Amino acid sequence: MVDYARVQKELVECNRDKDISGVSIELDNGDDLSHLSGRITGPIASPYEGGIFQIDIRLPGGYPFEPPKMQFITKVWHPNISSQNGAICLDILKDQWSPALTLKTALLSLQALLSSPEPDDPQDAVVAQQYLRDYPTFVGTARYWTDTFAKRASVGTEEKVQKLVEMGFPEVLVRKTLDIVGGDENLALEKLCTG
Amino acid sequence: MGNNEKVAVAEEEKKSVNEVVEVAIETSYVDNDDWATYRDDEVMQQHNAIQAEEAHKLPFVGDKEPLSALAAEYQSGSPIIQEKIKLLGQSFSAIRRTRGDGNCFFRCFMFAYLEHILESQDKAEVDRIKANVEQCKKTLQNLGYAEFTFEDFFALFLEQLESVMQGNETSISHDELLTRSRDQSVSDYVVMFFRFVTSGEVRRRAEFFEPFILGLSNMTVEKFCKASVEPMGEESDHVHITALSDALGVAIRVMYLDRSSCDTGSVSVNHHDFVPSISDSPNGTTNAVAAKPVMTLLYRPGHYDILYSK
Repeated sequence: MVDYARVQKELVECNRDKDISGVSIELDNGDDLSHLSGRITGPIASPYEGGIFQIDIRLPGGYPFEPPKMQFITKVWHPNISSQNGAICLDILKDQWSPALTLKTALLSLQALLSSPEPDDPQDAVVAQQYLRDYPTFVGTARYWTDTFAKRASVGTEEKVQKLVEMGFPEVLVRKTLDIVGGDENLALEKLCTG
Repeated sequence: MGNNEKVAVAEEEKKSVNEVVEVAIETSYVDNDDWATYRDDEVMQQHNAIQAEEAHKLPFVGDKEPLSALAAEYQSGSPIIQEKIKLLGQSFSAIRRTRGDGNCFFRCFMFAYLEHILESQDKAEVDRIKANVEQCKKTLQNLGYAEFTFEDFFALFLEQLESVMQGNETSISHDELLTRSRDQSVSDYVVMFFRFVTSGEVRRRAEFFEPFILGLSNMTVEKFCKASVEPMGEESDHVHITALSDALGVAIRVMYLDRSSCDTGSVSVNHHDFVPSISDSPNGTTNAVAAKPVMTLLYRPGHYDILYSK
């Protein structure tokens, strides 16, 4: 049985200073406190700078004794993160987890992992090899993936307009809404749905 | 470098990056059988399976067994061990085993201490340890731990402490203490409480513990607490025992059962008393407080059990 009272407190605590910390957590699915969605901003001076990375968080029944299950939803090019499915190789999400840690500290650790990869303990062998053998190319690829997958604004506006119009919203309203939310397709959809 | 050249170089770089990306996308789909592609939850699953297998062999805290049960284990073993068990038999009558899941020291401490309070009904001792627990809470707050990470564990320990004192509605029997010690939802919480207390004490007196930790593991104090104290299942060493004994002000005796012997051929069982010291004096020196051990643990390399005196 997940300790929901603790999870509630964790959410409040984490989101309190999200603008400073660069990490935040939201409910992923209605009221279900065992399925959350984390967000981390790419660390400055890393190839992930400027990106926003979405993390799927599932809390197992034994939480906080068992570690949260975290996985990147946003595609990312990093030695310790699978380029295929976003699986993460990080000790605190496995045997080094402790109830003394929190979802926030786990997300901050992921952010730190983006800054300092550990290619000797890889999740994605291909990326790790590239990191070790051809660092400049690694940086280029990681930056390219960040631009392509982690920056919402980088997807063409026309593409977003077309997608939302296909969902049945009037084009004028779609353009106006996209403008208000700064080009974020998901936020626009949310706003359009709630009227 | 002229501007045109720069543009040309940039173009070239862009091109090569795009090529690499394509190659990378293709190659990342091979090597599926590689160990590195196992996901976290798969690793955890295997870890849990191993734990479940252990659980079948022994509960967190076992039954009291006569010391002869220990002797039986070494029937065809080392003569030095056999000799030492005989010597132990002069002072001790029984052993209570704990599960070898890396939490055995804390589990021993939990049961032995609560059993001691249950049997002694020592109100003064309960009041004394409560004050220490309060101090430990302050230590964690000062170290910057979020309250919600530790408050439940503290509350659960204090609850057990209350309930072994008789004469209240919530009072429990010896049998119930054993049942609770075997119930994960109580037992693991108390173990975690001790881990918090231990970690807080080690960090609070980082300067004192640093040389021991460096000798053990070549880690910083901070890293040691994160990696070897706070996660469940991490085994305890001298540092853990010293810190817990000091923080809670509880003296612990450990008997060492190993194959070491003197050159003269005479065999004796080594022991060590962990006597709590108080380090609140301004110059940071520690003063040992004379205290009689309230529990005796049996150490065999990698594991702790509880011993009962005659």
